[in-house]
Amino acid sequence: MTAPRIPTELIAPAFNPATFGIGKREVIDQLFTRLRKDYPLAVAEVPGYDPHWIVTKYDDIREITRQDAIFHSADRSKTLASQLAEQLMRNYTGGLPTIFKTLVHMDDPEHAEHRAVTQPHFYPQAIAKLEPQIRETARRYIDEFLAKGQGADFATELAFRYPAEIVLSLIGVPKQDHQKMLDLTHWLFTYADPDLCRPGANITDPQEIIKTWDIVYNEFKSYYESMIHARQQCPVNDLTSVIANGKIGGCPMNERNMISYLVIASTAGHDTTSATTAMGMWTLAENPDIFRKVRDQPSLIPGFVEETIRWTSPVQQFVRSATEDYVLRGQQIRKGDLLYLSYVSGNRDEDAFPEPFRFDPERSPNRHIGFGYGPHICLGQHLARLEMKILWEELLPRLASVEMAAPGKFAESEFVCGPKSVPINYTLA
Amino acid sequence: MNTQPYLKYQCILCGEIYDEELGVPEFNIAPGTRWADVPEDWLCMACGAPKSEYVLLED
Ligand code: HEM
Ligand SMILES: [Zn+2]
Repeated sequence: MTAPRIPTELIAPAFNPATFGIGKREVIDQLFTRLRKDYPLAVAEVPGYDPHWIVTKYDDIREITRQDAIFHSADRSKTLASQLAEQLMRNYTGGLPTIFKTLVHMDDPEHAEHRAVTQPHFYPQAIAKLEPQIRETARRYIDEFLAKGQGADFATELAFRYPAEIVLSLIGVPKQDHQKMLDLTHWLFTYADPDLCRPGANITDPQEIIKTWDIVYNEFKSYYESMIHARQQCPVNDLTSVIANGKIGGCPMNERNMISYLVIASTAGHDTTSATTAMGMWTLAENPDIFRKVRDQPSLIPGFVEETIRWTSPVQQFVRSATEDYVLRGQQIRKGDLLYLSYVSGNRDEDAFPEPFRFDPERSPNRHIGFGYGPHICLGQHLARLEMKILWEELLPRLASVEMAAPGKFAESEFVCGPKSVPINYTLA
Repeated sequence: MNTQPYLKYQCILCGEIYDEELGVPEFNIAPGTRWADVPEDWLCMACGAPKSEYVLLED
């Protein structure tokens, strides 16, 4: 059995961050719609990259991510990486596939042991207790945003900042350092976007990407090292204290894993939510009927939030590697093969979502895979939902109408991707 | 008829809650379905974990 191949000219744009910055990701949506139809599970051989199975179907992504023992996260780069980038990384780290060793980059038993350290703090019943402080933060950001007047950029002024403040406060990072964390997050996730990348980085040079990762890791390391030591001496009520004193098999967690844990919380813990929030506003601004409906019926807000996550799918892809031969959708996956999981495609899969390109706050069921699936499913999902629910509950009653003040813009990133600019005009209620 | 109070169970992997009182009508599990009556091959709707990963949620 030979594996079907996707014509290189068809798939190559999906490997290029710039493609994700076009319009509202139309090119990507068209590309994956075509793949779901003609190449639902097939191999991409893009020059400079190892072959990857491109997994486009909702059911296939769920089948893979449910089986962590077969489809590993730690053996290869967890995100799409060129051969050169992977090689540079191995040279740099002395043979490891990534600088960071976050939950995302672990397999069991390591993964389950590390995840258990913070999991109870992310259960819905624990997150619900944060509601008063989240609501207070939301109100403050809304007041500040509305004070800026017409044409203000909802993405950069509110959506980027509000989720960052919430998660960084939980971690224990003081407010004066939030901007630094926001910048580091952008350097890491949107390393190829001319507006958000590290100033001075040559975004076309793979060496520079490794350099950026190195700078980001070391910035985080020097920041969190002293915080970890302080919290080990004197724990307080924050996430850093939980991680700094976390035990793995009865022993302290190693320091690289502690730092990585804090890095993922202080990057993935807000950028994804920012993208979803900004996309939510963009959708409201272009669809007055949806705006009025959700504003007039606050009971629709949770469904609206869920649909914004499906719609935005800010995490475009993660990669898994097969540890054994496996048959999926009639295709023979071989041990060692790489599988690129397209969450954005899974969330537009016609076989899983009727009328997938219709934004419907009342969609039910809406079991999207925007947060992933399986044991690596997003740790922060309940926090992200609550943050967004509260924001819309507080903001919508204050608006009578909203529209785009200028065209919105998407970030250029093939990994975490969402709007980087959503300028709006509005009338107050 | 079973007069025991309804209980809640939680997926230890993802935090999803199964509430016996509510069931999951969107997936054909009627309100009032006891945990014991949820099929053994049922998977967590959020993360796909097997039923055995759910534990009783104490208030
Ligand atoms: C709308 C917002 C968010 C989206 C769409 C999102 C998406 C995702 C996805 C797709 C994964 C799966 C990774 C995999 O398969 O390996 C993931 C994992 C993760 N997310 Fe989120 N996320 C969001 C918000 C958050 C927040 C607020 C936090 C706060 C701490 C967070 C922390 C994490 C962590 C720690 C993991 C790793 C879990 C593991 O590997 O066990 N995320 N997220
Ligand atoms: Zn679950």
